[in-house]
Amino acid sequence: MDIVAEGASENKARQPLIEVKNMRFQVPSIKAKDRQLLTNPLSFLSDMYLSRSRRKIITILDDITFTVQPGERLGVLGLNGAGKSTLLRLLAGIYQPTEGELHVNGTAKGLFDISLGMNQEATGLENIYMRGLQMRMSLKEIKNLIPEIVEFSELHDAIGDTLSTYSSGMRLRLAFSISTMVDPDILLLDEWLGAGDERFRKKISERMNKLVESSKALVLASHNTQLIRSLCTNGLVLSKGRIVFQGNIDDALEWHLKSL
Amino acid sequence: MNHITSLIFQTWLQFLVRYRRTFIGPLWIVVGPSLFVLTLGLLFSQISGAKAEVFIPHLTIGLVVWTLVSGFVNGSTTVFQRSRAQILQGGMNLLDVVFVDVTTTVFHFVHQIIIIGVVFLIFHIPVTVYALVSLIGLFLLFANGVWLAVLFGIIGARYRDLVEVTQAVMRIAFLVTPIIWMVGEQGRGGILGVFLVYYPFYHFLELIRAPLLNNPIQPLSWIVVLSITFSGVFLARYYFKRYSGQVALWI
Repeated sequence: MDIVAEGASENKARQPLIEVKNMRFQVPSIKAKDRQLLTNPLSFLSDMYLSRSRRKIITILDDITFTVQPGERLGVLGLNGAGKSTLLRLLAGIYQPTEGELHVNGTAKGLFDISLGMNQEATGLENIYMRGLQMRMSLKEIKNLIPEIVEFSELHDAIGDTLSTYSSGMRLRLAFSISTMVDPDILLLDEWLGAGDERFRKKISERMNKLVESSKALVLASHNTQLIRSLCTNGLVLSKGRIVFQGNIDDALEWHLKSL
Repeated sequence: MNHITSLIFQTWLQFLVRYRRTFIGPLWIVVGPSLFVLTLGLLFSQISGAKAEVFIPHLTIGLVVWTLVSGFVNGSTTVFQRSRAQILQGGMNLLDVVFVDVTTTVFHFVHQIIIIGVVFLIFHIPVTVYALVSLIGLFLLFANGVWLAVLFGIIGARYRDLVEVTQAVMRIAFLVTPIIWMVGEQGRGGILGVFLVYYPFYHFLELIRAPLLNNPIQPLSWIVVLSITFSGVFLARYYFKRYSGQVALWI
């Protein structure tokens, strides 16, 4: 897809938000034997300094090239283990590519494992502060967002109770409200978030749509073809760590469904 | 700077929350060492030759500093595993995690300074301007806590053996460091002297303890501590550059 710029002032806006070129991502496979100092004490040293050959390297992603332009919404398709989640974590900067180029212009934020990292002994309010600080927000910013979070999560007075007294629904509501309190430039989603009862699910859906609207670009990995069709403009099909198809979303979905 | 303050605040919040369900909160940190000092101090000043007013301050400072040192060493090997969620969500980078962990250990230490203060009051130990030198030693120890967490954190994430090694070593190290015993007047000439020359923990402890007790610091202690600090920072930087990208895969 090409975005045709009108006038020179659009030059900056035309710069792609995500640029990936021949990216490869490999991880060393860790064999249990490798780690036992007892069976092979020298492996500790040789592994670090000398022979790399003894470690098996697995290629998770290979030869990945694509760009995401402002306004583009990319749906990532593929079977389990195709490398979708890893790709998102690379875009979020959690993993580093082994080879190739990866440029992300703007803030990229992923909503991964949103319930992890909540402190059970802390109150809801304290958890908002902790997670907010971890997301690099200032105390003032967090303070301003608190009423909104409390309202959205419908926790009301329970916000002052420790998390260990919360029901699983309350926890999910809080985790969701905290995780979605900032709008990033580039939104990375590993499956659509949905939680709670019927009514709250509707609220979540609204909030997610709003997040998608306000972000400049979206990368969504999902098995839900219907969702991808309704949200995304472009599609990318991964298979065994390689891109097997990229193009507009209808063609990509067709390709993906055919290969199933 | 703003980022640092926010990290410190975050540490403080976590620190308080940890003691949420207790009555006296973080003061529990003081209880353990106080009992230790009281019991061992009274016992050892009876059975050994040293006088209580000499031995107990020696023991107290030694114990409190040792808690800091072993907190750094034992914490360093699992620092990244313990913050797995934060790292994999992408919110905190590895150095943030290290900073929070080291600051938590320092918070513990700050509470235990109370014990030293109380002991100094009881035994009327004069504090001179020279005592401020121990702040330099303390600062150097903090710096070592940082590089240690980076280096051991990376190696410990890859090789889980490291945590077992440090725990085993630190237990013995406590006994062989002059904390619950004193280096005799002529001790440096004997077999112990040779050992202490090559024993880094002793030098770290001396930089902090000697000024407080108005004892001179051996130039050797400065040399050892400074060279360990610089080479440690250098080594940690190298490992961080080379392996930090892979830590997220190992934890």
